[in-house]
Parts: sequence; structure tokens; C-alpha cells
Amino acid sequence: MLETGVRQVRVAMAMVFGRRLNVRAVERLVADALATLEEFGSLGDDVDELADGPFADPAERRDLQNRALQRTVSRLAKRSPFYRERLAGIDLDGLTTETLTRIPVTRKADLIERPADFLCSAPYLATQTTGTTGRPVQMWLSRYEMELWPALIALSVVLRGDIRPGDRMQINLSSRATAAVQEDVEVCRMVNASCHVVGQVPPEESVEHLLGRNGTRPTLLTGNPSYLARMLTAARQRGYGPDDFGLRAIYAGGEIVSPAFVRALRETFGAETIGDNFGMTELLPVGGRTCSRRHLHIDPNMGYTEVLDLETGEPAGPGRLGELTVTPYYPYRECMPVLRYNTGDLVRTLDGEPDCELAAVPAVSQILGKAGSLLRTADSVVTPREIVEALDGTPGMPWPLRHRAAVADGRLHVEVASRDATAAEVTERLLARGIEARVTVLPLDDEEAARRFPLRCDLLEHTFTRSHA
Amino acid sequence: MTVFFQIAATAALALAVVVGTIAYFRAVRAARPPVGVFNGKDIFMMMGFVLALPYVYLALPGAVLPVVLALVFAGGLSVGYQPLIGNGRLRWALISVLIASVLVTHLAFGETAPPYWVANSCVVGLVVVSATNLNVQGGMRLKNVAWFLLLLAVYDAFFAWVVPLTQELAEAVQGYPYAPAAGLRIGEDLGAVVGMGDLLAYALFTTTAYKAYAKPGLRTGIALVVLFGAVAPVAALHLIAAATGDAPGLIPAQVFFGPAAFIGYLFLSRRGPERRMVDVPFRGNRAAAVRQAPVRSAEAHPVA
Repeated sequence: MLETGVRQVRVAMAMVFGRRLNVRAVERLVADALATLEEFGSLGDDVDELADGPFADPAERRDLQNRALQRTVSRLAKRSPFYRERLAGIDLDGLTTETLTRIPVTRKADLIERPADFLCSAPYLATQTTGTTGRPVQMWLSRYEMELWPALIALSVVLRGDIRPGDRMQINLSSRATAAVQEDVEVCRMVNASCHVVGQVPPEESVEHLLGRNGTRPTLLTGNPSYLARMLTAARQRGYGPDDFGLRAIYAGGEIVSPAFVRALRETFGAETIGDNFGMTELLPVGGRTCSRRHLHIDPNMGYTEVLDLETGEPAGPGRLGELTVTPYYPYRECMPVLRYNTGDLVRTLDGEPDCELAAVPAVSQILGKAGSLLRTADSVVTPREIVEALDGTPGMPWPLRHRAAVADGRLHVEVASRDATAAEVTERLLARGIEARVTVLPLDDEEAARRFPLRCDLLEHTFTRSHA
Repeated sequence: MTVFFQIAATAALALAVVVGTIAYFRAVRAARPPVGVFNGKDIFMMMGFVLALPYVYLALPGAVLPVVLALVFAGGLSVGYQPLIGNGRLRWALISVLIASVLVTHLAFGETAPPYWVANSCVVGLVVVSATNLNVQGGMRLKNVAWFLLLLAVYDAFFAWVVPLTQELAEAVQGYPYAPAAGLRIGEDLGAVVGMGDLLAYALFTTTAYKAYAKPGLRTGIALVVLFGAVAPVAALHLIAAATGDAPGLIPAQVFFGPAAFIGYLFLSRRGPERRMVDVPFRGNRAAAVRQAPVRSAEAHPVA
């Protein structure tokens, strides 16, 4: 207990003063948390405060954010060729959250064009985005980052009870997402859970693994929503229901998760918790969680989050749409850090303070889609999320929803792939949400639908078991 | 007469503290940090404190020492009894009365008078009860305590007989209130004093034995406290005095109790693994009980 206290102080001091964290100390804190659970059956008092970090008080948070930004910007100006150039001539003295807007945002195109100019330390592992929304971005990570992040995540999940010793996690992420997969594997190791990296194999095989016929049944499942949707379809086609699975929680992220999809996952797989998490390779280890009020709460301990107004590019006012822009702090990100990275993700700022169970953590709306996909009709503005939420779960439409929405002549035009649903039904579903649209239903087979409307789940990996490689 | 009085008074003081500690353990759950369980490495840290503290005390000017001790006692009482008396003002008022009573009785009756020793013993006893519970309820195991007491026996013997630090400390606090000891003195001839460290050792061993092995642990603990914490040291004092004709200034009780406690632990450990805090039934208030409700690990169920 005394030793744990000393360790906590060491880690907290490093966080507050922005020094590199001692990874072993963080890993030992995970072990301490597990020992606490083993001895007491629960963690001690004020565990939420520990999990949410020292940023619960807004004034304290602002002070720490300013110092973290100054530290991060100063390091980038010295070490990153890209930012040395970008920051030249900008007054960086006494940089604060208010004056951060002096620095232009970084976009995905910058990373694609000049990846080597972002390197600030010795690279260890390359990881790549899926490329669903354009050319993939390759990110290099240092050995320190690949050791630190899983330790921090493991501590967080143990403190929040998301993963427990004895859990078994099935990982259905693309093998290209090396960092995310390795993180999950390492987290399981530290938490004394087990894991099975299945990948994005044909979904019916993943469902078979979930049944645990070869050993133990997974209690946790993680994957992209569209792939999970394919698993859901495969499970339903085989007549499986909640009693066939041992899932406690499903963690999805990277695509829009609608309430109808959450319900369907619960009904089919029997998992109580469906976590809709936000994370991007470019921004790791900054991440976000969705609360019961459907806010996205982005961890303020490891990065600074801004919402930039779509019209002005300045910080968006309350209740406004904007693009999510994030700056991960040093010392959490050191190899290929980005500054004011414009994710292109569309969110709405909250009109007031959040009043949910995660109220201590700053929040925005859930991701509403990509800013480039915002639909401006003659009468209204429609977000991609609104379309997905209106159509997900439509009788006769398969999971995942495959569609495209565009505006032509001021009118919204929605194309959906379905062999059963009619245009009238789809139109009615949209109208019920106040969305007027011209609807085309394309009776495509699965392969053709995937070709016309690609999703992350289409990055399939073949196996010798069933697929036709 | 003296030997029986000393045995009875020492046993009574030790048992009173032990009973108080067990009662607290059964009825109250102290606040604990979000993460952390008492482990073997903490024993070394505790030993570090034990080694350093006498030197710190001796380095202080004479009149400052009682002030420091009074502040330490008050702080210990405030932390330890917060779960029992949640109202901070009331708690501090009671603590002030207790601390003041020691000073008043010392000034009014003198350092050897029964009222002073009764007041001081009450304060010391209450501090030991809370300190013990903070440690044991922090997950301290009997194994940790047994090793700690064994090291303490060596420490006590060394600093009593090789380097007379304990004697120096006893002399340093003489004449001042807030002695780190409990005792009773009646008249000129009858007197018995037990050091606060010894009381802490008895309470720690008995409570962790109870935590680890329930009633068999408690019975073993109490028997060892009476035999090796009260009877053996007092008897040894008088036997040495009878044999040499010169009564030793003090007998380090841990020299008897430490090895006995360690053997007691080895004996008890044959019963099986120690209970964890989550296995100990709690009869306290409902809110605390809910906090303590066990959250069992999720299991990955094997499928036939």
C-alpha cells in the first residue's frame, strides 16, 4: 500500500510536469489494482477520480492544458522538420488554449505527403489506417509509445472495470491495425485476461469462435461496427441467440454505431455493455467514450480537443457543428506527433454542461460522420449519422447498412442496397426522422453491394477454413 | 505482589487494546485508497520508519517532543475515527478534549499519578486501535506481520542491549506528557508500563490472525499476547533481578513476542491460505457494506 502510494506519486508527478513516464511503474500500478481487486473484491474510495485523472477541476485543467500544450509545441518546433517549418514566424510565447488558433491545423494530406518530416524520435512499429475514407496513412510509433499506451489503457480499463482478470477477448480487428491489435493483446496480458486475435476473417468463422467450441467462450468482443454487423447477420442466419454466447461486453469503434445497432447486438449476442469508443491511429493514445446520454467524452489527460466551426475554422460556439481537432500531448506521443490534427470528423458542441455519469470529462456530441459528407439540402443540413440512425434496423435491410447519400439540385438522394426493402419503406423511415429524400433501392447481391458501398468490414482476410482464397 | 500486578496490568492493557481493535475491525470499515494492498515491501518501509523515528524524536529539543507527539496522536485519531464520527467538528472537539485531558492531568497531578496514566493510556490505546485497523484493513497479511515482528525483535534487542537507544528515548520523554506508552501506577511500588510499539505489535498480530484465520487465529493471537507479551517479559525482568540482584532498566518485550508470533504464524498457516478482506464478514453499516460487496472476476466459461 505504501509502495503503491509512492508509485502513484511518481506517475502523477511525471504527468503533471510532462516528463516521460516510467512504463514499469504504470505496469506495476495495473498489478496493484488487480491485487486490490483480489484482496477487497472492489477498488477503494474515489476510484473515479483516479481514473479520470487530475483534470476534474476546470481551472486546474486549463492550467495543466496550457502547460502541456506549451511543452508539446516547443518540442515539435525543435524536433519535427514539418512543424519547424510550420511554426516558423508564429509567436509561441506563453501559448494557451485561447492562442493555440495561431497555429494552422494539420490535415491527413500533410501526413500522407510528408510522413518522414513528422518523425521526432526513433521509430519502432509502423501502423496503418484502413484507408476506408481515402489513402491510408502510415504512422510510426516508438518502442516507448508501444509499451506506455497499453499500460495506461490497462490501468484505465481495470479502474473502470471494463476488463477483468479471467476475461477472454476476441479481437476482430484488421491485421493492418497493428498498433490497436498489439495494444489489446498487451492490455489482456497485463490484466490477466486472455485474448484471441481472430482478425477480419469471414464473419461466420468469427461467430464460431465466439461459441467457444474449441475451449473457452469469449467474454469480450472488439471490432469495427460494420464487421460486427456482418457477424450479427451471420449469427442470426445460423439461428444463434444470446444464450449461445458468453459475451459481457462488445467494444466497437471507427464507424457510426446507431441505437438500433446497439439493440441488435444486445439481442443477438446477449452482451450487456456495448461500448462505442473513439480512437484514431493518428491520435493514439487520445481516445473517447460514449456515455448513456450519447455524448462523446474525450480524455483530456493525454490531449487537447477542439471543435472548429465549419464556416469560420475558429472554435465552435455552443450547439454548433464543427470538425474535431486534437493535439496529443508529449510525453504520451513522442515518435510521430501531430499538432491540431483535424480529424475531419463532424461533431456538435454541447449546448451547456453535460449532465451524465461522465460529466467530469469534457464532451461533445457523438461523431456525426465526416465533415466532407455533410449533406446541405435547400432546406436543411443532414448529417451522415442521421441517415444511418434512420435506416439502421429497417425491416428487410441487412446489417451492415450499405448506402450512399448525396445532394443534387438541393435535394437529398439516398441509395441503399437491399433485396427486400422498398423505396417507400425507406422513404417513410427517413421521413419519420424529418429527412426528406429521394430514395433508390438497389437489389444488389452482397458482393456487388460491397463493391458499390465499401465499408471497413470489406477489408476481409482469407482463411483456409471456409473462404475461397 | 509487584510481579503479579505488573503481569495483570500489562495483560489487561494489551488485551484492552486487542479487544478494542477487533471490535473496530468487526464494526467499522476504514476509508481506503482507490488502489493499493499492504504487501511485503511495505514491511521494509515500515521498518525504515521504525528505525528512523527514534532518532528524529531524540533530535528534537525536549519541550518540542511532547508537542510533536500530541500532534501525531491528534492526527492519528482524526484519520482513524473519521468513519465512526463523520462530523469533523464533533470529531475534532472530542479529540481536543482527549488531548487536553492528558495535559491537564499531567499538570494537575504529575507524571506518575494514576489520572495522567489513565488519560494517556486512553489516547495511546485509541491511536493503536485506529493505526492497526488502517493497516490490517489495507490488506495487511499475517505473513507480513509475522516477518515484521521477527525483524522488530532483532531491532528491539539491538537497541536495548547493544545501542541503548530505547533507554535514551524513554528518558527523553520522562517528565513530559504524551508518553508513547500506556500504563498504570498505584502508589510508589506498583507500576507497569507498556510501550506504544509493543501494543501496536500485539494488536497487529491478533487482528491479522483474526482476519486470516477467524476465531482460531484470534485465540492463538490472544494466547501469545498474554504469554509472550505480558507474562514472559515481566517474569524475565524479575528473574534477572533475582538472579543478578540488579533490576534491568527495561526488557524489550518483542524479544519474546516476535519469535513467538512468527511460530504462531507458521502454526496457523498450516490451516490453509489466509482469508482476504473480501472473505471477512462485515457487520458494519449498510453503505460501507455495499462498497465492500465482492465483485467477482468474470470467468471465461469452458464449454463442453
